[in-house]
Amino acid sequence: MAVFILKRLIQSVFVMLAVAFLAFSLFSFVGDPISQMTGVETSLEDQARLREELGLNDPFIVQFARFTGDMLQGNFGYSYRTREPIGAMLLDRLPATLELGTVALIISLIAGIPAGIYTALNPRGVLSQSMLIATLIGVSIPTFVIGILLIFLFGVQLGWLPTFGRSGTVEIGWWRSSLFTVDGWRSLVLPGLTLGLFQLTLTMRLVRAQMMEVMRTDHIRFAIARGIPWRSIRYRHALSNTMIPVITVIGLQFGGVIAFSIVTESVFQWPGMGLLFLESIRFVDIPVMSVYLVVIAFFFVVINLLVDLLYLLIDPRLRVREAA
Amino acid sequence: MARHKISSAALLIGAAMSVASAVSAETFRWAGTTDPQTMDPHAVNAAPVLSFLNNVYEGLVRRNGEMAVEPSLATSWEPLPEGAGWRFMLREGVTFHDGAEFNADDVLFSYERAVSETSDVKSWFASVTAVEKVDDYTVDFKTSSPNPLFPGSIANFMILDSGWAEANDATAPARESENFATRNANGTGPFRLTARDPGVETRLAPNDGWWDSLDSNVTEAVWTPIGNAATGLAALLSGEIDFISPIPLQDVEQVEGRDGFKVLSGLETRVIMLGFGHDHDTLKYSDETTDKNPFQDPRVRLSVAQAVDVATIDRVIMRGASEPASQLLPEGLSGWSEAHPDRPAFDADAAKAMLEEAGYPDGFSFGLMCPNDRYINDEALCRAVASMLAKIGVTAKVNAMPVRGYWDELRADNFDMYLLGWSPGTFDAEHPIRFLAHTPGERLGTWNFGGYSNARIDELLEPIQSEVDPAARQAMIDEVAGILQDEVAYVPLYTQPLIWAMKDSVDVVQRPDNFFLLRWVSVN
Repeated sequence: MAVFILKRLIQSVFVMLAVAFLAFSLFSFVGDPISQMTGVETSLEDQARLREELGLNDPFIVQFARFTGDMLQGNFGYSYRTREPIGAMLLDRLPATLELGTVALIISLIAGIPAGIYTALNPRGVLSQSMLIATLIGVSIPTFVIGILLIFLFGVQLGWLPTFGRSGTVEIGWWRSSLFTVDGWRSLVLPGLTLGLFQLTLTMRLVRAQMMEVMRTDHIRFAIARGIPWRSIRYRHALSNTMIPVITVIGLQFGGVIAFSIVTESVFQWPGMGLLFLESIRFVDIPVMSVYLVVIAFFFVVINLLVDLLYLLIDPRLRVREAA
Repeated sequence: MARHKISSAALLIGAAMSVASAVSAETFRWAGTTDPQTMDPHAVNAAPVLSFLNNVYEGLVRRNGEMAVEPSLATSWEPLPEGAGWRFMLREGVTFHDGAEFNADDVLFSYERAVSETSDVKSWFASVTAVEKVDDYTVDFKTSSPNPLFPGSIANFMILDSGWAEANDATAPARESENFATRNANGTGPFRLTARDPGVETRLAPNDGWWDSLDSNVTEAVWTPIGNAATGLAALLSGEIDFISPIPLQDVEQVEGRDGFKVLSGLETRVIMLGFGHDHDTLKYSDETTDKNPFQDPRVRLSVAQAVDVATIDRVIMRGASEPASQLLPEGLSGWSEAHPDRPAFDADAAKAMLEEAGYPDGFSFGLMCPNDRYINDEALCRAVASMLAKIGVTAKVNAMPVRGYWDELRADNFDMYLLGWSPGTFDAEHPIRFLAHTPGERLGTWNFGGYSNARIDELLEPIQSEVDPAARQAMIDEVAGILQDEVAYVPLYTQPLIWAMKDSVDVVQRPDNFFLLRWVSVN
């Protein structure tokens, strides 16, 4: 077990190095940070001096080595734009993104799993067909359009929910949470729905497909032949077998939810890491962009590791193979 | 049980907060696209920073709603004998937000800070050789040559308290890492900074001890950056914010059509123009003309100016909100040349004839560089220009890109023609001559990407900067304006509009430099 985790951790370092390298090499094409950092009247010699101070004249490989060296020492550097330490900046924005991602995930599970079961058990029902079509439409419309539509409907026309931002936050240590106030929840609803919609569709279709497959397996047929009540067959035997792959995929998807909350955060001006990333692109804030991507890669690696460990616990066959 | 307690306490907090917001009726919430990146008035010379900080800090002089210079921390000023500089008489009895008294030492300290190596506002003091304290409320700015415009050019030079900066280790603007002044402020201005969360929210409250009388009933002001235009519009229409600037031109009708909202549309001090690669010997993006650069011929440049129909652009792309421009600065600004009021009339036939005369009867193709997120409808403008040029047989290949990479491309000479907007920071004709018309160098002509060069203009810049007699000065500016028009160094198109949207209950003053000052805001 310890060897397994160690092996994965060593692999993950290489993954993150690769992401950092890719990110760093791409960002040199994003634009010129200096012209974003200085005013119109700044003389060219001052611009050149700033460029030199930031080490932007150094060869790419030197810049990359310096960046990874600092990262390995836990020094994330400073934002070009605001001069804040990047570690603190990201940590400040982390709760907003994690809470939004979690709420989106919960929304997708609460609605997606029952819907998946229902559509699997009643494949030809009118309700099933309309649910499938509705989610297909939902997933075909780009996230930002859905976000804007929700904002104009619930925020502007009906006036029920706030249109932007994250209000009603309560500070618990350094963690700023919006889960403890009514205002906080009100501002979570629309972005949570927008971000969760894609996951909802995915969860529903996955549960449906798995469930339909499990219902055709031998042990379910034998259970039916034995005359076990339908209720028990469906919700005890079939469902628990359905959930193993579903948990894996949903776990892996959580990394995606965090990473792809960028669009949702921008539409709702949600002050999370994704919004910070977008602002950083606008101002060619290369250090912030690079650290963000490395952190996201780290999330993926950790989540994958956790999912693998979970698998190890759930599925005895894997344990046996590891031991051998 | 414990969990229950937390949630009920949280509910109470939530309830208390909603009550609080109901009581303070004059909370003013406003939004814009760009968060000021720092609260340090000397760290970045950019409009979002200076506009915001003008609410908190003050300069020796300030500009009123019509851009005229008026006393602020200085009550009066006079030129020193023989053009040796300017003497400022400081206001007595002014205190900073933390209670410290304002005097000449703070001006000296702020000057030293503003010209220090990490400052981005050094260019304001290019002509200053020394600053001397005469007494506690009199300061002399010594200049190398007479500088009649100096008081107006330092309207954004904001004064910090020397004691505060020293106590908090912020005696110079931050360079690599932030310092105390990056997120905190202690000015003399009408509002004080009460909370700062970069990129999320910034709160201001009135300064009760302000020396001037405040024309505002705002008791708390909350600033939120909203990057997405549709989100910003929704936030306004839902009533969550009271004011937003800018809004896209295409949304103006929607805002005006709703009860309880209005749009304030004026002209910004920014002229949108086309520039040429004067010092390029060949076209870079032409399919057939690879051995020469037709834009080096003034007749070709004139035919471009004649072929672009500014009235149609105004009607279709700018929805009637812009104003045609004939010079590098908008009509009405100091130094605008009355002698050269007209841009070349739109005349496609004359343009075509001019092209033929210059030796291009079949036209040619070239690359037009264009930002797509910098000026109002900039990419649409470039496409319109391209289709108008197509009518005289010239094919413009539009290359539109985000502004974050645009200046780099222009500095690397990757263009045949380009789009530029210019707002003169000093609101005087000398500014565009210095940055756009002078031959490029380290300090002068730094935005003259095309390398336009005219010996007479270079020769006139220095006397324009130091001439004290207004008539003699204007004569020189007129001469420069004439040369620029005759040679069609640039093709000025129009003055860009300013579009501010707000609730009906909000009264503001729209200053043409797009600065938003809370001291003129009232909520009814």
